[in-house]
Amino acid sequence: MDEAFFVQLALSGAAVAVLVGIAAWAKIAKPAGPLDEHKARGMLEFEFPGRRIDAVWVASDGAGALAKSGGLALVICQAGDGFAARQIPWAQAVAASFRNGKLCIDLADIAAPRATLSLPSWPPKDLAA
Amino acid sequence: MKAAFDPVTLATPFFILSIILEIVLARLGKADARYETKDTATSLSMGLISTLAGTLTAGVVFAATLWVYQHRLFTIPMTAIWAWVAIFLAEDLTYYVFHRVSHERRFWWAAHVNHHSSQHYNLSTALRQTWTGGVAGTWALWLPLAWLGFPPAMIAIQKGISLVYQYWIHTEAIKKLPRWFEAVFNTPSHHRVHHARNAVYLDKNYAGILIVWDRMFGTFQPELDAEPPRYGLVKNMATFNLLRVAFHEWVGIAQDVARHPRHALGYIFGPPGWSHDGSRETSAMIKAREGAGPAKAPAEAAREAA
Repeated sequence: MDEAFFVQLALSGAAVAVLVGIAAWAKIAKPAGPLDEHKARGMLEFEFPGRRIDAVWVASDGAGALAKSGGLALVICQAGDGFAARQIPWAQAVAASFRNGKLCIDLADIAAPRATLSLPSWPPKDLAA
Repeated sequence: MKAAFDPVTLATPFFILSIILEIVLARLGKADARYETKDTATSLSMGLISTLAGTLTAGVVFAATLWVYQHRLFTIPMTAIWAWVAIFLAEDLTYYVFHRVSHERRFWWAAHVNHHSSQHYNLSTALRQTWTGGVAGTWALWLPLAWLGFPPAMIAIQKGISLVYQYWIHTEAIKKLPRWFEAVFNTPSHHRVHHARNAVYLDKNYAGILIVWDRMFGTFQPELDAEPPRYGLVKNMATFNLLRVAFHEWVGIAQDVARHPRHALGYIFGPPGWSHDGSRETSAMIKAREGAGPAKAPAEAAREAA
């Protein structure tokens, strides 16, 4: 590799930084606002079509939601201005760590390692089993 | 392997300026484009590092291409116009095959998935390139061109031209182009379909430059007004960690093979989403569940009905 390669690499790195800066300045991310129960149910229907939803908990900041569907927990978490969805066993969701109003769920997926949801309490007493 | 004339290097200033233009026009409300900071940083960083990753395997690719060329059937002159027409068609067909394999077999999907991992569709998405393409070995698909007698430099130049062509179609700012153009060439509309995760759009429009290959081989799907594309993966990523973006499917394959060694071949070479117990869904299963057979744009359906 010659000097020109490293010069080109450095310039490309600088260009990346400038472009990311311009993207941040522009503030043109997707306008989707925080989730409410209606939006969360719509998203659950798209991500997990045909699944029965027993109960839904929407994060207080709208940055995600969690639903019980039989023996499964359906989890939606924010990723940038979009969302990602995963399903895990309900028992795993019940056992997730809950501290200072934050539920931290291990999704056991390298592409979606964990979801953090702001909730008033966890687990729900009547559905914990 | 870089030719003395490298279309991608020459086009780099155009890449930068066009991204700035797309962002500024969107900011001014003159173009339809969405950029999110972390997503943009991920796309551009993947692109930058992919050039480094490419240099690691470039020597092997070059040596293999040269060796095959030394055993060529014919000697095709780089100076003949017919030779450039021939390489254009042959390389574009090769790209179609490469791209189809990269979507329909998990081993090669693992190298290609990162390009589809953004939930955005803008010019920066075009630069979200693979780090593991060299390792996946898909470059071998281009070796028959050298065996036929196309000089390695000619193949490299045409590959570069194809890559540059495919850059500008990663945009929502351009809606539909004239009908004759949409009929023959890959366009922003056709490629939006390719990047969408809606059931009806899965595994469609593999074209590089000419969309005619998809029309010929039954993988064409027009963009439907009633079905706006939702971009990204069937199971979207919940992280912008570059290492996870680049390697998550490879790790997934390794985990599946370790857990179910008797079904290793299926997990490595089956379609993405394949599982030995049917607990996951492939694209074909999703399409069947959603009843998403080939769908036509209203205008096309009306023409055929008439």
